[in-house]
Amino acid sequence: MKAFDIALKDLTRSFRSAFAIVFMFGVPLLVTGLFYVMFGNIASEGGFSLPKTKVVIANLDEGGPKFQVNPKNIPGGKKAETMGELVVSILQSEEMADLIEVALTDSAESARSAVDSQAAQVAIIIPADFSHQFADVDEEAFIEFYQDPTLTIGPAIIKAVLNRFLDGMSGVKIAVTVFLDEADESQRGLAGQVAQQYLKISLAENEDMEDELLETRNPSGGAQRKEEETQSLLLSIVGPIMGGMMVFYAFFTGASTAQSILREEEERTLPRLFTTPTPQAVILTGKLFSVFLTVCVQVVVLILAARFIFGIQWGEPKSASMMAAGIIFTASSFGIFINSFLKNTKQGGVLFGGVLTVTGMMGMIKIFAMNSPAAQTMGDAVSLLVPQGWAVRGLTQSMSGESPESIFLTLLVSLAWSAVFFVVGVWKFNRRYA
Amino acid sequence: MSDLPAIEALDLRKSFGENRAVQGVSFQVNRGEIFSLLGPNGAGKTTTISMLSCLLRPDDGDARVMGRSIRSDPSGVKSVLGVVPQEIALYEDLSARENLTFWGKMYDLRGSKLKARVDEVLEVIGLRDRANERVGKYSGGMKRRVNIGVALLHKPQVVYMDEPTVGIDPQSRRNILDNVVRLKNEGMTVLYTTHYMEEAQELSDHIGIMDHGKLIACGTNEELVKLVGQQTRIDLTLNAHVESVAAAWREIEGVSHVAAENGVATALVNDSNLALPHLFEAASRLSARITSVNIREPNLEAVFLHLTGRALRD
Ligand SMILES: Nc1ncnc2c1ncn2[C@@H]1O[C@H](COP(=O)(O)OP(=O)(O)OP(=O)(O)O)[C@@H](O)[C@H]1O
Ligand SMILES: [Mg+2]
Repeated sequence: MKAFDIALKDLTRSFRSAFAIVFMFGVPLLVTGLFYVMFGNIASEGGFSLPKTKVVIANLDEGGPKFQVNPKNIPGGKKAETMGELVVSILQSEEMADLIEVALTDSAESARSAVDSQAAQVAIIIPADFSHQFADVDEEAFIEFYQDPTLTIGPAIIKAVLNRFLDGMSGVKIAVTVFLDEADESQRGLAGQVAQQYLKISLAENEDMEDELLETRNPSGGAQRKEEETQSLLLSIVGPIMGGMMVFYAFFTGASTAQSILREEEERTLPRLFTTPTPQAVILTGKLFSVFLTVCVQVVVLILAARFIFGIQWGEPKSASMMAAGIIFTASSFGIFINSFLKNTKQGGVLFGGVLTVTGMMGMIKIFAMNSPAAQTMGDAVSLLVPQGWAVRGLTQSMSGESPESIFLTLLVSLAWSAVFFVVGVWKFNRRYA
Repeated sequence: MSDLPAIEALDLRKSFGENRAVQGVSFQVNRGEIFSLLGPNGAGKTTTISMLSCLLRPDDGDARVMGRSIRSDPSGVKSVLGVVPQEIALYEDLSARENLTFWGKMYDLRGSKLKARVDEVLEVIGLRDRANERVGKYSGGMKRRVNIGVALLHKPQVVYMDEPTVGIDPQSRRNILDNVVRLKNEGMTVLYTTHYMEEAQELSDHIGIMDHGKLIACGTNEELVKLVGQQTRIDLTLNAHVESVAAAWREIEGVSHVAAENGVATALVNDSNLALPHLFEAASRLSARITSVNIREPNLEAVFLHLTGRALRD
């Protein structure tokens, strides 16, 4: 009963501290929210939520002397005689049609005024010497991008498309330059072919890129199923991030709550507790219980918050409970364990900065390496060297719907870690205050 | 049973490494009295109290509190004790009421009884109006009062107060001193430590003077003062040459126990009327300007000076 009173008192104190609240709930949810918005925009753009971006293009390009493009190399097989036309044709291509609405105009002023008068959101002005500059090895080619400053997302996509296109194009320039440097006089005439070849590759890449972008962003037709697909894609990115944040900060909370034992020693309230008719075992139990309870509240709140704010699916209730238990036990016992090695809270900075960050990062390698199978195998091995890794393992298992048996196995290992941490931590603290 | 002393310290000893903080302290505190341990910083008062409250295990010796041994029955001792630590030991992010409620639970109070006691204690320490403010926002004096209140919740038979009036405003100090007397009137035994001789003099039934880990004298105020005889204490504040003036004084007849510290020369004299002209004369001969003169009838300060050759100062 008294142990519970002590834990309750600690819980009250924790939840009264703005700092603790920020680190327990604010930061993990905020980081996840950021990722959610970032990926969410890409995932939901253009389809159901955003209107098309209106683009006015003033293509003033007069063409360059040496520039010819084989129509076969252009997506959609359209004809392009200048670099400017190539840009226009890419933006006008059918694949982009869901995202942007292109209008052509013949002067830079009219393009800009269309944006100023809010008839369009973006003006793209391709200068007269665009092709020329492109052909010239020493020049840089620019496209003027003029946008409504109050908008961000639509123009950003168009910018991204253009940038990637131009990057490809500058690749052409580099290729030609290298070629010219290495070729002797007689081969110089081949430069055009080199450029052509490179352009072909680059445009093919561009086409891939569009597919990629459109795949994630464009549920054309707005079908329910597509929308769900987009959503689940988003969650498959954000879910593990939220999970990782939760594990990382649960360990942080475990360590900082367990540190309240040392803090109470320094604030003299612990010795005062020892002068009351409360056995030391009860006092210590209360402190440990409070670590456990605090982490427990944090994990449960984060799981529910992430579920309702972001719609993150944690897995079957049974699996999710087991993974939550894994996180709570390892995080709280680890906190007790490492604090038992500290002399005072001053050493705590090292603890949080060093041990928690390093082990936390190790444990989360798996999440960072999500996209690379090779790194993931290695990351798996490394992460399982630290308790956080096992917490993350339970998490990913539950989220990917693995069998409760395999999650239970992970939980057992987590509990074994916890038991060791707990026993060592309690033993050390007991000796300290004996 | 009831004529047993409330506290009985038997040759308590405690060292921290080479530092022999308490070197064999024995004393006895009767039931229902206020006993003060008076001594300068580092005398060993807190160490003694820590042993008596079972926080520190003595290297040697034992003590009985209400007949219970601190060695063999620490939980029995704790159950009759209320301890007011020297350092404020409260949760600053909780309110006074929350603090008292929590500590009350630690003293095994529950429910309506707890609530009633918390209200009573808030009344006693004069903080009822501000009970719901966080302790962190309180002044030093208010914190000290809560610090004391915590130890009174369970109406302990014996209360230890370790320098409860250090560094506080006169109003809080008055409140605290009045409360100590009130506790005594309610039948509690109070063990009080201080390095303010006025407090010890005002409050105590018995006083133990501590220095360098030893109890150098013990008795009632009157008994202790008798140790210095009828000597009067004279303090002269000088602008210079304090040491040489003190040295000159030692040669004067009827003057004993001369000390020089912080620009003040102190002497105990048998008859101030006879001695004063000589003291002044010595000062002006050495061209030390006298900036203030203080003549005091025998008191504990003089006792300390008499016993240790040093002034009892903060
Ligand atoms: N935990 C400790 N570790 C090491 N030395 C200690 C410890 N506690 C006290 N001491 C030393 O023991 C001696 C007595 O200290 P103590 O605190 O008992 O004196 P005190 O009379 O309470 O002084 P004050 O008026 O300053 O509170 C001092 O020299 C002090 O430095
Ligand atoms: Mg002290």
